[in-house]
Amino acid sequence: MRIFTIVGCLLFASNALSRPISYVGGHTLTVNSNAQTHNIYWHFTPDNKYSIGLDYQKDRISNNAFPSARLTVLLNRKNTTNSQRNLYLKTGVGAQHGSTYFFALAGDWESRRIFAGFSAKQMSGSGYTLFEHSLKLGVAPYLGNYGDMHTWVMIETKKNTLNDQRLTYPVLRLFKGCALAEASYHKKSDWNINLTYRF
Amino acid sequence: MMKTLCLIGLVVVPVAIQAQHQNMGDHKEHNHKDRTNEGEITVDRGRFVKNDSSGLVAVVSVQGMVCDFCARGIEKTFSKDKHIEKIDVDLASGKIVLAYASGTTIDRADIQTKILNNGLNTTDIQIIGN
Repeated sequence: MRIFTIVGCLLFASNALSRPISYVGGHTLTVNSNAQTHNIYWHFTPDNKYSIGLDYQKDRISNNAFPSARLTVLLNRKNTTNSQRNLYLKTGVGAQHGSTYFFALAGDWESRRIFAGFSAKQMSGSGYTLFEHSLKLGVAPYLGNYGDMHTWVMIETKKNTLNDQRLTYPVLRLFKGCALAEASYHKKSDWNINLTYRF
Repeated sequence: MMKTLCLIGLVVVPVAIQAQHQNMGDHKEHNHKDRTNEGEITVDRGRFVKNDSSGLVAVVSVQGMVCDFCARGIEKTFSKDKHIEKIDVDLASGKIVLAYASGTTIDRADIQTKILNNGLNTTDIQIIGN
């Protein structure tokens, strides 16, 4: 049961974070809440190629806490006048359960109007290995200027080997200035709320 | 409890900041056109009111600036430069406008480094006398 709790926390860990590498010297704080976990994640970007972070998750059912350290590396970036494409390698290791860790390959392509992103994540621990993949597509219903409120209407689909079920659900992303809010809902997983602030 | 706070924040924060934004006035009223060798760009005078100094203005063309949230770092990065008085970002044209204090010599390499530190690429820097 404890293993499944740990796995659940890793599975539900925030995948919603936009741009996991900030500007050099920038900090990002993310709070995430869903039916299974509460989560707070801070990361710092010392270089434009990677970020380091600390994550603290609390399981709402067992009340167990799972602190972890994370590293995100930018493998590839392609900038054009109207778009940006990124490929990231993400990894994390549990502070209390050192044998629990994950690797993820994540990518996105974004213009001012369209967003497409994917993630493939493998989690390993004592006696288990799990895999999860997800795909996210979004469209901006209007193009705001710098300083305006921006909106993305998205759809995300996700599947993992824990329950072998595909979940597909709508996502609403709003941001203005340095604050970003994202909400998604599925009848099985209930609400997922994500608030991010960059400073 | 935390979920409730998140939900409240999700609703209240965007509404509050949008209301604040509207109270600051309609930016379109302040927009003016400036001309560079590449053509006209829109500079938001509401954000871009210079002091009585007569410093230079750098118009920086960049690639990859597709998101307001991600462009915030540009403003934060350049605002640390004491020689820069005002910063404006135009997402539509992919341009950043920097107004320097009078007597400042513009370091193009420094601008390029700061842009790169924000994950973007500089394609052109034009200097406009004031």
